[in-house]
Amino acid sequence: MLDFLDNPATLAGANRDPDGDMHAADFDPVGMAPTEFAHPTFSVPAIADPVAFLKHQTGVDAKNRIKIQHGTTTLAFKFNHGVIVAVDSRATGGSYIASQTVKKVIEINPYLLGTMAGGAADCSYWERELGRRCRIYELNNKERISVAAASKLLANMVYAYKGMGLSMGTMVTGWDKTGPQLYYVDSDGQRLKSDLFSVGSGSTYAYGVLDAGYKPDLTPEEAIDLGRRAIVHATFRDAYSGGYVSVYHVKENGWEFISRTDVNDLIYQYQAEEKPSLV
Amino acid sequence: MARRYDGRTTIFSPEGRLYQVEYAMEAISHAGMCIGILAEDGIVLAAEKKTTSKLLEQTHSNEKLYKLNDYMCVAVAGLTADANTLIHYCRNQAHGYSMSYNEPIPAEQLVQRMCDLKQGYTQYGGLRPFGVSFLYAGHDKHQGFQLYLSDPSGNYSGWKATCIGANTTNATALLKQDYVEGCSLKEAVSLAVKVLAKTMDSSSIGADKLEFATLSLGANGKVVYRPYTNADIEKLLNDENVKKIIEDKEKDA
Amino acid sequence: MPATAPATTTTTSPAAVKSMFPQAKSLSMASSAKPALSLQADTKSVATRSIAPESIKSTTSTSTQQSLTARALFEVLLGITGKDFVLTASDDTCARGIVVQKRGEDKSRALNKNNLMLFTGEAGDTTQFAEYIQCNTQLYRIRNGMDLSTRAVSSYVRKELATSLRSRHPYTVNLLIGGVDPKTGTPELYWLDYLSSCVKLNYAAHGYASYFCMSTMDRYWKPELSVEEAISLLKKCLAELKVRFIGNLPNFVVKITDKDGIREIEI
Repeated sequence: MLDFLDNPATLAGANRDPDGDMHAADFDPVGMAPTEFAHPTFSVPAIADPVAFLKHQTGVDAKNRIKIQHGTTTLAFKFNHGVIVAVDSRATGGSYIASQTVKKVIEINPYLLGTMAGGAADCSYWERELGRRCRIYELNNKERISVAAASKLLANMVYAYKGMGLSMGTMVTGWDKTGPQLYYVDSDGQRLKSDLFSVGSGSTYAYGVLDAGYKPDLTPEEAIDLGRRAIVHATFRDAYSGGYVSVYHVKENGWEFISRTDVNDLIYQYQAEEKPSLV
Repeated sequence: MARRYDGRTTIFSPEGRLYQVEYAMEAISHAGMCIGILAEDGIVLAAEKKTTSKLLEQTHSNEKLYKLNDYMCVAVAGLTADANTLIHYCRNQAHGYSMSYNEPIPAEQLVQRMCDLKQGYTQYGGLRPFGVSFLYAGHDKHQGFQLYLSDPSGNYSGWKATCIGANTTNATALLKQDYVEGCSLKEAVSLAVKVLAKTMDSSSIGADKLEFATLSLGANGKVVYRPYTNADIEKLLNDENVKKIIEDKEKDA
Repeated sequence: MPATAPATTTTTSPAAVKSMFPQAKSLSMASSAKPALSLQADTKSVATRSIAPESIKSTTSTSTQQSLTARALFEVLLGITGKDFVLTASDDTCARGIVVQKRGEDKSRALNKNNLMLFTGEAGDTTQFAEYIQCNTQLYRIRNGMDLSTRAVSSYVRKELATSLRSRHPYTVNLLIGGVDPKTGTPELYWLDYLSSCVKLNYAAHGYASYFCMSTMDRYWKPELSVEEAISLLKKCLAELKVRFIGNLPNFVVKITDKDGIREIEI
């Protein structure tokens, strides 16, 4: 009954066609296909419906509910000098602040960054898995994986587990042969390419600052400041975001860690500054 | 020595041959002959039945010619029991395709699917190849009327006129000699009768020994499959003066 | 309804009823000839609405359990058949909860040279399903050396959806498939929904857009439309959406599929 868990590919389109069309087994008649791209499998509770079980334990009406950590503000945007990534560092479980020092930028490899929103465990697990796959791709093909391909790997992996309780909203960014790249991938399996994204409960506040100040020809200093300010303003309004702002800059030769600053200090610093002119 | 390499279908002989597949083809070369001729306006399939006996009950089912769907039929040479399995498979495939795509399967694709199955039986362990060759007559919107041949190895080829079964060497020579490019269906039918009459071993030819069918386009543009009744065949043999052909043949002998 | 047509529904003649079904051969509204479609753009620009911020918290969580249809209904797919082409339009907006995540998204995939599939629906399912179908139609061409017809491909897609519908995780996608026969140039448009209905239509719409655009197309569509006429009709539909629809959809991806292939156009 739980066979599908051992082979989540059967949940996706790959194995659905009885009419001789594309079929997972077609590619591997004698078990010789490389297995490093097989989906990871998990032990699951020995009950009929693990998904319902998870909902039962985590749902709002559950007694002694396990509160999965949520709440975040993350953002990333492309500009003429690469990509800026900025995130907060607060983890919450309901109204409880579980941590103020979470690393929400995941360093997949020296050329790829991922951000973390939604379930912290889901994000770090799947992006670590993505890192493994990217490394294997590099060893097989003697060149780095493109950001487009990497983000598609991630989207396909989580799509195979769609509806099973994963919670993940991430931005995958890096610099490849075609230049700086930015993708959004979430646990619905949605994958979008664009110049500017913000994800998490504070995203609307971040967008408010970001959209107002964004243009492609910002200098690196201006871009870093814009990203940092957007996060700070989001932490100011969104109770589920806070802690420290971390900023990264993705450049041609890989990403660079720029700063990690206490939002409390920044809020006071910004308030002491003169507001920019509107006209 | 040869026995080391012909017990299993999956083993090549030192000369690089698959004996079991060759034996299957040998079995077919003793079967009643089937002829297929492509005409401008249709296709004719004709076949000789080997198992005739006064004591044999006349059934309504055919022995050599089968309809696959509204657009295709086949003639069988070889083990009829094997053929039944394959024809069942083929009909399933044809109708599965219609089910998926809401249009009839292109003729060549159906032949390919049959051949994929046949090929599998020359490669996987513990299996015996199918001892059947087929002539396929078909029509589709892509290529019009088409005639194909497939053998136990899983090979297939498209033809204007060809034959399978016993005496194919003689029959092929006659077809090469007498086939006219762009002939009408009527001319193709009479050519088929002549070739059968000249190459069949038996001294008398009657409707009990023959099966005929044609594929053509009806007035509404729909494909028409016409299996000949015994009366149709008797009339055909009469019209083509088959008696005389046989007498001439025996005189020559 | 035009003045010459029956004025009330109670007296609707069988012929008038027939006219509601565009597939019917004769049109009873023939007496009131279809008005000439103006070749000018009659799109009026309308101020965009701002959205009230009350519900931001509850809807911006990354694990929104919003129902498919609620979001998908705001997405617009339109298709119009012409003389020897199909004109299609889709909005270019990706939204999640109350946030627009992206403008400039192309919600269609070319299945082969002469067939285009447009899609809306559950996030993730849409592109996964569309690319799965795209891969299989392309695989078909490689295997068989010929392309599937519009009718064959929509039948195939319908079957895929029907199989999926009774599975553990159905694809929740709504589709339009437009294409032409490369030999004859005959256009065909199929409307499919996630419950695997499949209907051949002369013009079609998905989502709330159908409430605004179907009557416009009923009124103005006629057989053998030229490209200019079809574009003019499409503009009428998009203008109506701008005026009456609450959704803020500033841009559309418009494509023409004909026997030379699929091309995107600016309107």
